[in-house]
Amino acid sequence: MYIAHHQVPAGDTAQPKVWLENVSKQYGSVTALQPSDLKVRSGEFLTILGPSGSGKSTVLNLIAGMTNPTAGRVWIDGRDCTNVPPSKRGLGMVFQNYALMPHMSVFENVAFPLRVRRVTEAEIKRRVGEALELVRLPSVAGRKPAELSGGQQQRISIARCLVYNPAIILMDEPLGALDKKLREEMQLELKRLHVELKVTALYVTHDQEEALTMSDRIVLFNGGRIEQAGTPHELYFRPRTLFSAKFLGDSNVLSGKLQGRAQDGLVETPVGLLRSSNGNEHVGDGASVHLMVRPENVLLLPPDNKHEYANGLEAMVVDTISFGGVIKTFARLSDGSTMTVQELTRARRQAFDRGARVRLAWQAEDMLLLPAA
Amino acid sequence: MDKERDVEALGGSAPSPLVATAAWLGFVYLLLPSLIIIPMSFGDTREIVFPPATYTLDLYREYFTNPTWTGSTIQSIRIAVIATLAGLALGTSAAYGIVRGSFRGKVLLGALLLSPFFVPAVVKALGFYIYFAALGIQGTTLSVVLGHTLFVTPYVMIVMMAALRNVDAQIEAAGMIMGASRIYVFRKVTLPMLRNALIAAGLFAFLMSFDEMIIAFFLSGFGTATLPVKMYESIVHEVSPVLSAISALLTFLALVICLAVTALSGRSGRQPSH
Repeated sequence: MYIAHHQVPAGDTAQPKVWLENVSKQYGSVTALQPSDLKVRSGEFLTILGPSGSGKSTVLNLIAGMTNPTAGRVWIDGRDCTNVPPSKRGLGMVFQNYALMPHMSVFENVAFPLRVRRVTEAEIKRRVGEALELVRLPSVAGRKPAELSGGQQQRISIARCLVYNPAIILMDEPLGALDKKLREEMQLELKRLHVELKVTALYVTHDQEEALTMSDRIVLFNGGRIEQAGTPHELYFRPRTLFSAKFLGDSNVLSGKLQGRAQDGLVETPVGLLRSSNGNEHVGDGASVHLMVRPENVLLLPPDNKHEYANGLEAMVVDTISFGGVIKTFARLSDGSTMTVQELTRARRQAFDRGARVRLAWQAEDMLLLPAA
Repeated sequence: MDKERDVEALGGSAPSPLVATAAWLGFVYLLLPSLIIIPMSFGDTREIVFPPATYTLDLYREYFTNPTWTGSTIQSIRIAVIATLAGLALGTSAAYGIVRGSFRGKVLLGALLLSPFFVPAVVKALGFYIYFAALGIQGTTLSVVLGHTLFVTPYVMIVMMAALRNVDAQIEAAGMIMGASRIYVFRKVTLPMLRNALIAAGLFAFLMSFDEMIIAFFLSGFGTATLPVKMYESIVHEVSPVLSAISALLTFLALVICLAVTALSGRSGRQPSH
């Protein structure tokens, strides 16, 4: 998995493109969004990630102006837009089902926001041409949307946003309707456009891989509130909660009780004493905790191996599955629970048969301490 | 909706011979009274008999040259065109408000707007008669136009509500986010996408007003009678054989409009090409 490494373009001091100031949303007695504070920095690619019903679509609708917040204020480009209708917010939006006008040609679709703005005919011609050039579809201007493939239609809807330089481009699961290969292509395409044009983008998805690949920052939502916000690197390697750890990437989770002081990271578990060198400010001395280690950080060793790793557990191989580039081994621990080990495929890799006794080992720095519940 | 999906919805297999026979029998039963008119319309001008003794075009000649018939036909067309346009404007606006709006009492208002549909024509006609008499416009062309507008509007509404539900609201939302006002989006996005439905609803409304007898009978006066009213009067007084020629023409008009509407609704799922 590729995890984006980017310098966040502007610090917290610069004026945010979008600021949801303590915004919340109630639908009758149902809370769609608990009071949340969220800033989109100028020029960044921010992803709102979460399962369905986590509040991510509510955030998008609040920014777009499709719904009004129950409390709080919505700022766009330093302007209080809480009560401004969608058409006056200066936004762009890319929809999952493209939302192209079926009765208009591709050219007229892309020209639509310019015609609304009463741009001259010559200028429209030039800018539509440029926008189609940007999404690498300069030759389809005369066609109807229905004559294009899904991926091409989505490129047109992106061109339709780029053509009028909106303050921010909102993207609502834009790749959700495309097949896997096309989705991966489009991820890189979107990333390229973002880097080239330095537009501010807010991307909504439930797909953690998409989020990790494209984002400068990810805001993870769960149950109508922000679970954790940070760079893809932070969310992947330093999840603060069990939910974050499980939502992004694969994870092995064990439960136990802290021994001694929290900062020592010694945890008594049903399978033995484990050690983590990562503290967690939300965990107190003697607390019940979860421990998490990524499958790719666990080594598969012969049972008699004298290793130097802080953590080592006896286990029995249950199954081995090859995914081409990687191999996953599932091993049963002494308490009956299963751990997953992920290794890169190598021809000379030591193979273990089903039922073989092995030793699982990993470093204290790869073991994360997470608060229980 | 396309043909393949229609077939799928019916279970994907062709109907059995028994079902097909039943369908054809039903069709013939419905159509026979209309079809019997056609040979009779080519009879002569003396009396209505079946089968006609001789075949001529006299009845058609009579219809197209007698000012009583041509005058009332023009009157019917005029009323139907105005009532159709007014009904389209009212019915489409109402359908848009009911389908796209979100306000209290929306369901109730929708039911209220559709209610003329459920009221018997005689009751409507009597209501109009009393009301327009009080206003002093009973017997004028205007009163028939108003009556027919109210008569066709619920039908337009039903067609347009169904069509609007098939228009993706996100496309309209996209237009507004790009800076267009709701009215701009309605004119440039929604209406063009409703084109086929508008034509179908318009043809329907025209035919309904053109054929309508009861309301027109109550509301029109001596100089403002429509074709169906003149036909009715003719039956009561003399049973003119010309009626069979007019009936044949009306059946033909209805057939053409029904085919046009069917063709249009068969394409409503696809984009209109222009």
